[in-house]
Amino acid sequence: MGRTLPSITQAFLGEQEALARFRRALRRADQIALDDLFAAARQHLAAAAYAAHPLPFESFLLAMLLEEHKKVLRLERLLEEMRAQRPEEHA
Amino acid sequence: MPEHHGWLLDIYADGTHGLVLWLLGEDGQRRQFFQDFPITFYAAGERRALRALWRYVRRQRVDVDLFRAERLDLFRGQCIPVLGVRVHRPVEQPRLFQQVAAAFPYLAYFDADLPLSLRHAAAFGTFPLARCQVEADAEGHIRGIQVLDSPWDLEPARPPIRTLCLEPEENPHRRLPKYLLVRATAEGNPRTATYRLAFEPLRPLLINLRALLLRFDPDLLLTTWGDTWLLPYLLAGARRNGISLPLNRDTRRGIASRPERSYFSYGQVIYRGRQVHLFGRWHIDRRNAMLWEDYQIEGILEAARITCLPVQTAARVSPGTGVSAMQILTALRQAVLIPWHKQQVESPKSARQMFAADQGGFVYQPLVGVHYGVAQIDFVSMYPGIMVHFNISPETVSACPPKPDDLLPLEGADGSQARGLIPNTLAPLLNKRMALKQQLIHMSPWDARRKTFQARASAHKWLLVTCFGYMGYKNARFGRIEAHEAVTAYGREILLRAKETAEEMGYIVLHMYVDGLWVQKEGAKESADFQALLEAIAARTGLPIALEGIYRWIAFLPSRVEQRVPVPNRYFGVFQNGSLRVRGIEARRRDTPAFVREVQMQVLQLLAQDETHPEAAIAMAKRRLAELRRARVPLEALVLSQKLSRCVEAYHSPSPAARAAAQLQALGRKLRPGQRVEFIYMRGKPGVHAWELSHPPNPAGVDIERYTTLLLRAVANVLQPFGFDEAALRQVLLDTPCRQSLLPTMSFGKPTSLSSLFPVTQVTAGGPLG
Repeated sequence: MGRTLPSITQAFLGEQEALARFRRALRRADQIALDDLFAAARQHLAAAAYAAHPLPFESFLLAMLLEEHKKVLRLERLLEEMRAQRPEEHA
Repeated sequence: MPEHHGWLLDIYADGTHGLVLWLLGEDGQRRQFFQDFPITFYAAGERRALRALWRYVRRQRVDVDLFRAERLDLFRGQCIPVLGVRVHRPVEQPRLFQQVAAAFPYLAYFDADLPLSLRHAAAFGTFPLARCQVEADAEGHIRGIQVLDSPWDLEPARPPIRTLCLEPEENPHRRLPKYLLVRATAEGNPRTATYRLAFEPLRPLLINLRALLLRFDPDLLLTTWGDTWLLPYLLAGARRNGISLPLNRDTRRGIASRPERSYFSYGQVIYRGRQVHLFGRWHIDRRNAMLWEDYQIEGILEAARITCLPVQTAARVSPGTGVSAMQILTALRQAVLIPWHKQQVESPKSARQMFAADQGGFVYQPLVGVHYGVAQIDFVSMYPGIMVHFNISPETVSACPPKPDDLLPLEGADGSQARGLIPNTLAPLLNKRMALKQQLIHMSPWDARRKTFQARASAHKWLLVTCFGYMGYKNARFGRIEAHEAVTAYGREILLRAKETAEEMGYIVLHMYVDGLWVQKEGAKESADFQALLEAIAARTGLPIALEGIYRWIAFLPSRVEQRVPVPNRYFGVFQNGSLRVRGIEARRRDTPAFVREVQMQVLQLLAQDETHPEAAIAMAKRRLAELRRARVPLEALVLSQKLSRCVEAYHSPSPAARAAAQLQALGRKLRPGQRVEFIYMRGKPGVHAWELSHPPNPAGVDIERYTTLLLRAVANVLQPFGFDEAALRQVLLDTPCRQSLLPTMSFGKPTSLSSLFPVTQVTAGGPLG
């Protein structure tokens, strides 16, 4: 037993660690937004592991984008529903 | 020539007779037999070196035959020339081999260090508790032996085993117990005799025990702390008092004791205590037996039967050793060379191949939160199933790991390749497990055989589970990392196919974990609703999959450190029949005090009754917390146990367990890495009180605040999916001032309504759209 390569979680934490200086220099509000992005990337560690990309950070970026896009779609749908309820205001 | 029928109890080497066999006769007699049993080991290497070895062995004063032969080397895939050394008296083989290996260290050796019971099993088909027919002459020399049953029988006849239980009244590592509790039971006889013998003075106890051993003549000595304390203590006492204590049935032999040891396995330090082995009779120490809590004596006997390891060994070794024994037996039967020290190493790979191959099982991030009407479906023994179905074995996989696209068609191995050693070993075990589980499904809950069946199924499970890990272990005799990687590659492919099948059929996949999926679909409530899914997945993957159960609700928990991050194996849920399944939370951990575990389970049970009104659970937790803070909880319930990861002296900043261990060491107890230490948290320094110290801790000094925090965290963890967090709970639960608290006590007003106190948060990240 024993793996040669770091696990995907180790790789993720390594990437996050590598950006510690970047994060430190951000404003507090921006730091919180950045943490959100990293939390989003962690939702898809399994997929990133399966992809086995030599540069896992690309997979993490895509995972962040994915969650962002889901949020956009959700908001769009919400907007649609609100429009449908009050058509006169958005005419 | 007289014929005897009975069950095989024990086999061991003997200086004068070759082998000694003990038979538990069908007539109730325990008989000793002798058998000539030469054993062979092999050496391979340069011709000249082998010739020198030949001359060297000839010069030793050991009765041997030497011969040249060709034998199959599994890793090279061909026969190689070897020198065979057949030693006439098995008792002489270990020493001879030691000398040979020291004199010719550059030769490769095979079949050199195999357990005798496996060699006998390969030659005669025997196994522990095999029903045998033995022909022997008047002196007990075996002329013929025939095995009448098989380790794969589902319901073997039960031998009338006599058991003598010896249990000191309290933990002897704490202080000398006052009494020894003795219980004599015999299979098939409802009568039990019990005795209570005083340890002081020791002489009468020894005399009574001696009489009991002679009169009752047990087959099994089942003890508590027998390995680590009781038997060595009794034997030393017997020597001092000039009494012979016939622990062995074979009176010509002394007892065999093996020293304690610590070793590293799967990222953990494991400790095994000293062992005391008997001859002609078994000794099992409940405290030193592997997986005793899991499968008890039935599981141990089953493990011995199918691994062919002696009962006393099977009780004490890890399932990995068991699986290794099964593989050795297959190899012996197929006349494959069994390497002493494996020479084979991982074959070179490109970085790209490495990235593709070096992966584990597929572990998803679950959708955090509470979900209703969820089915858990599990592949049945997935990894062993894959090895058998796709014929994965060290000699059948190629050096390059398979890519998902060129995995074998999922119909399985096509028979163009001979079945490998590992599939040959596993197939009967897998079949037996399936058959047992099938019978368990159809067995009524009141069936008396149920417990036995479950214990045996559990023994199978452990062997099958470790078989996969062992394949990737570099020192395993038939391990090969590429085979290990091939298994996980198939596992990932199969799980993904299952996911795709479920999604195509309109299910939401909430979670996947190596060999199981948690799925949900609007309207699917009964097991019949999931039947089509199971069939579709089985058809598409070639492996059987079964419905584990349907949860009324299940909660997947986030990481404790980062609330937004899901954790794969932390969840709890309630099945439709009301039973709970709990993973990865405090109630499952051994380093949680019993009191905290109990309260957490009570909270879960109340939630299981009605999760929409957690008020009852909160009220109960509050009562229990008040008990703790009024010091009404018995000290035993506050004891927790942690493992030492290294020697006490090696800690830079000692953990609580290390500080407790230091207290014991100050009194002369030696503790080793991997050993568990029990302790109670105390206020002030050193902050702990080792439970095995002979004096109990002062109740007034117990660190109640620390236990309060542990309890609050445990309760908050299970209430959190329902919208309660630790800080808010602290406020509601904590209006009992701690009796020993030095802080001014605060009082909290009664909340008017719970929902006003706890904003219900919903976690949606990662969830399906909408």
